Amino acid sequence: MSKLYERSANEINAGIRGGEFTAEEYIHQILERIDKVNPKVNAVICTDRKGALEKARLVDKKIREDEKIGPLAGIAVGIKDNICTRDLKTTCASKMLQEYIPPYDATVVRRLKDDDAIIIGKLNLDEFAMGSSTEFSSFGPTINPWNTDYVAGGSSGGSAASVAASECPVSLGSDTGGSIRCPASFCSVVGLKPTYGHVSRFGLIPYANSLEQIGPIGKTVSDVVMIMKTIAGADDKDQTVQVTYRTPDYTLSSNEKMRIGLVRELTEGAEPEISKQIYSAMDLFTNLDCKCEEVSMDYVEYALSSYYTIALAEASSNLSRYDNIRYGFNFAPDGYEWNAYFAKIRSNFGDEVKRRIIVGTYVLSSAYYGKYYLKAQKIRTMLKQELRSLFKKYDILIAPTMPILPFKFGEKIDDPIKMFMIDIDTVIANLAGVPAITVPAGFSNDLPIGLQMIAGEFQEQKLFNAALLFESKTNIDRNPEL
Amino acid sequence: MDSRETIKYLCSLSKLEITEEELVKYELQIEGIIKYLDKLDSITLSDIEPISQERNSYQLREDNAKSSRTDLLEYTINKEGRFIKGARIT
Repeated sequence: MSKLYERSANEINAGIRGGEFTAEEYIHQILERIDKVNPKVNAVICTDRKGALEKARLVDKKIREDEKIGPLAGIAVGIKDNICTRDLKTTCASKMLQEYIPPYDATVVRRLKDDDAIIIGKLNLDEFAMGSSTEFSSFGPTINPWNTDYVAGGSSGGSAASVAASECPVSLGSDTGGSIRCPASFCSVVGLKPTYGHVSRFGLIPYANSLEQIGPIGKTVSDVVMIMKTIAGADDKDQTVQVTYRTPDYTLSSNEKMRIGLVRELTEGAEPEISKQIYSAMDLFTNLDCKCEEVSMDYVEYALSSYYTIALAEASSNLSRYDNIRYGFNFAPDGYEWNAYFAKIRSNFGDEVKRRIIVGTYVLSSAYYGKYYLKAQKIRTMLKQELRSLFKKYDILIAPTMPILPFKFGEKIDDPIKMFMIDIDTVIANLAGVPAITVPAGFSNDLPIGLQMIAGEFQEQKLFNAALLFESKTNIDRNPEL
Repeated sequence: MDSRETIKYLCSLSKLEITEEELVKYELQIEGIIKYLDKLDSITLSDIEPISQERNSYQLREDNAKSSRTDLLEYTINKEGRFIKGARIT
C-alpha cells in the first residue's frame, strides 16, 4: 500500500479496521511524508516519532488481539503547539516557553488518545496564537503549500498547511479571531470554529479566554465532523463548556433545503474575485432549492475594533503569568532582583506579542476602561442580538472567510492595522460565540478562496449540512503539488 | 498622548522591558492601533448591557477534595526539593 498519506481520516480508519494495512505501516508513511515535505512548508515544528510509532503498534496489537478499538483508531493527528501534550514540548512558538514540557494533556488531546488517534507532533503557529499569517513564529513562518511565496495564514498556519500538504489528514487548531478559518481558507481545506462553550479549553494555553475555541481542520467535511465528535462535549475541567452531553450526535446528511442569508457588507467588502465566488455559491444553493437572500448587519463596522480591544485586553492579562518561575526556559534567577528578572525574562516575547500586551494594558487602565473595553463588550451585545434575530429567519449565513487572497511574505508584517483588517470576516463569530466553518470555494490566480458559513449557537449540524451539500456539488482541489 | 512616556509607563505596568530601538519601532505602530480602536467612540450605547458570553446555568461541582494525579512540578526547571526558586524580592 503506498501513498497512504493521501487518504482521508475516515478512509484510514476503515483501512486499518479492515486489515488493508497496519497502523504502523501507515505511520511510517506519514513520517516519511513529513520528512519529505516539511522542509518546504515548515508546518510541523516537533515530530513525535517515538510516541506515534508506539501508539501505532499498540493499536495494531489491540486489533490483532480482537480488543475494542476507539473510533479514531490509527488516524494521524497534528496538534497546534499552544495545546498541551503531556511529555511533549509545547512552546506556543515563543522563546518564552522554548523548553516547556507540560506534565498533562489538554482534554482534547486526552480524548483523541482515548479514541486511539495517533498524535504525530506539534504544529507551527503565530507566537501565542497572535497573528494572521504564522509569520510571527519563533520557528520561522509556515509556507503556503499552494505557492511557496505566500503565507499559509494564521495563527494556526501549521495546522492548515500540514493537512493541505498531507502530513496528517486532520489537525487541531485554535480560533480566537479567525485563527482556524483564515489558514484553512488560505490552504484550501475545511476548518471549523465550534460554538463557544462546545469544546473544552482545558490545556489550551490562553490568549483570550472569552473568544477562543479549539477546533478541527481536515480536507473533507466528514473528517472534520469525525474529530469534532471526539473532542466536543462536557468537561468537568472547563466550566465554560455549556453542553451536558459528552459526544455530539452529528449526521452526515446533505439533503437540507436551507434558508440562507448572504451578509452583504462582508461580501461586498472583499476583493472582487472573492465576492464573485461567494455570489456563485449563493446561486448554487438557490439552484438546489434553498431560499437565499442578501442580509445586512448594522454592527459589522464596529466588530474589528471591538474584537481587538477585547482580545488585546485579555491577552495582556493572560500573559502576565510568564515570569519563568513555574514554566519557561533555563535561566536561573540567582543574583537577580524580582522586578529586574521579570522584565528581563519578558523581553523574550516577540514584537507582536509585546505590542498587544502594551495596548491591552492601555485599554484596561482605569482612565480608558469605559471608552474601550466596556464599549467593546457592548458592541458584542449588539452583535449577538443581531445574529440571534437573523438566525430566527435563516439556518445559516454565508460570507467570505477572508476579504483577500493569500498574500506574500512580508507584505503586512510591519503594519499591524493592515494585518488586523484581514480578520474582518472572521471576528464576528468569535465575538458572538457562534460556530463558523470554512470550506474551499475556488481559486483565483491559483490562490485559494474559502466560503464561510455561520450558524446559531450549538447549531453545528446546520453548518455540516450546508458544508456537505456545497462540497458534494463542487469539486475544489485540496491537494497541492509538493 | 505623549506616546513615548505612555509606552514606557505601560511597559512598567506590564513588567516589559523594551529597548530604545523597540520603543522607536513600536511608537507609531501602537499609536496607529489605538487610533483604530477609537472607532468605538463613533457609537453611543449608553443603555446597553455589556456581555461577554452568556451561560444558561452555572453548574458548580460538589465541594469535595479531589486529588490530582498530575505532578505539576515535574518539569519545573528552577527547583530545590518541593520549592520553586524565584528571584530575590527587595
